[in-house]
Amino acid sequence: MFKYQFRWDTVWGSFDFLMSGLQMTLIVSAATLVLAMIGGLIIALLDMSRFRALRWIGVSIGEVVRNTPILVQLLWVYYVLPIVFGIRIEALVALIIGLALYQAAFISEVYRSGIQSVPKGHVEAAQVLGLSPLQSFRRIVLPQAIKMTLPPLASNFVQLIKFSSLGAVISVSEITRRGMELSATNFRPLETFTFIAVVYFLICWPLAMGIRFWERRLQNR
Amino acid sequence: MSGHEADHPMSATPIILADGVTKRFGTNQVLTRVTLPVMERDVVCIVGPSGSGKTTLLRCFALLELPSEGRILMEGTPISTAEPDRAIKTAARAVRSEIGMVFQHFNLWPHMSVLENLIEAPLRVKKMPRDQAIAMAEKLLAKVDLADKRDAYPARLSGGQQQRVAIARALAMSPKVLLFDEATSALDPELRREVLIVMRQLALEGMTMLVVTHEMGFARHVGTRTVFMDRGEIVEEAPGAAFFDAPKTERAKRFLQQFEEE
Repeated sequence: MFKYQFRWDTVWGSFDFLMSGLQMTLIVSAATLVLAMIGGLIIALLDMSRFRALRWIGVSIGEVVRNTPILVQLLWVYYVLPIVFGIRIEALVALIIGLALYQAAFISEVYRSGIQSVPKGHVEAAQVLGLSPLQSFRRIVLPQAIKMTLPPLASNFVQLIKFSSLGAVISVSEITRRGMELSATNFRPLETFTFIAVVYFLICWPLAMGIRFWERRLQNR
Repeated sequence: MSGHEADHPMSATPIILADGVTKRFGTNQVLTRVTLPVMERDVVCIVGPSGSGKTTLLRCFALLELPSEGRILMEGTPISTAEPDRAIKTAARAVRSEIGMVFQHFNLWPHMSVLENLIEAPLRVKKMPRDQAIAMAEKLLAKVDLADKRDAYPARLSGGQQQRVAIARALAMSPKVLLFDEATSALDPELRREVLIVMRQLALEGMTMLVVTHEMGFARHVGTRTVFMDRGEIVEEAPGAAFFDAPKTERAKRFLQQFEEE
């Protein structure tokens, strides 16, 4: 270890190559978050549905997704869906769908706890004043619930940045994949993967700290 | 039961009436065939030990609970039964906002300013023009002595101030009857007075009120009728102070004794 000659120039020389990977990482994470927020809403609505069959579907999706590894889900979407539907799926699309499905299962819980955090009395006050259930949900429940769900949604974004590295397995050229490609040509895994780890950390850590601060402020309100 | 019939001629229709209301939660029977009319300008105070069903009765009047048996009527029209049909649901929707309620824990909406709390229902339910709603809200805030708090958020107000805002919010819908569910119980003693003053003022102005309370002074001096409930039943009812001066039943005497000891 002590005799190791660091060659950071091999990393700096491919800086743009790696940064284009980072760009892909952020695009995948953001696109996935948007999809997962929509998917999470659908699952949450299924969970809270009046119809048993729909509730059953919602609960089943959640249970399956939460109790199988995300990498297996990703491989399943990438390799199995094309067989079932007889279509070719781009690796990028498969990655976004796979991650979104996984994250949607967790985000549906975020929505649910956000809605449940609104005291029942606030809804009863609206009801007594004559607001319809829809008006009460839109004007009283939703604005308060959204405030509670924003920090957890931001945490989900941080998770997605990290999970998107799984795209490397199905050759989506996000930053981890780019690192693998680079280290295969420069034979410098130590410098390459250390650099990549630092990049992830420099993005995720400040976000995580900011969210923690934000959550504490919401609680002390 | 004969008391109120003597006070009010048979021809008068109660503003609201609980007609033989029984309420069960699972196997737990909370109300047993309660009949209670509230006439115009009545200030009916419901007193009794905790767990006697006072709050559940009030919530049935507020249409927050369905009776297991019996009916709630507003000015003679049924608005709530165990299994409301379409006609009853329509009638309930029509009069819903004419029954105001003030809660023990205020239940102001924390994401809205005081003014926004007051104008929300007039804007959305009555479709009142915004400037008219604001003018009315300001008048109501002045009435509860909180004109300077119109842009404050509920979290910045004391409990007494919050409850006065909640009363103003209920008044903004010009209800025909106002229900109070232990409106001062969550407040420190020094904050209760300011809420009770507002409640007394409303009573003097002729507001029809149904008040679940532990404030015996209010029931005695402001109430026109006192209803004593115990174990889900109306045990005794008497006009204003008469209940306190000459309770007829053993249970009522025992209940009132606790307050003398204080």
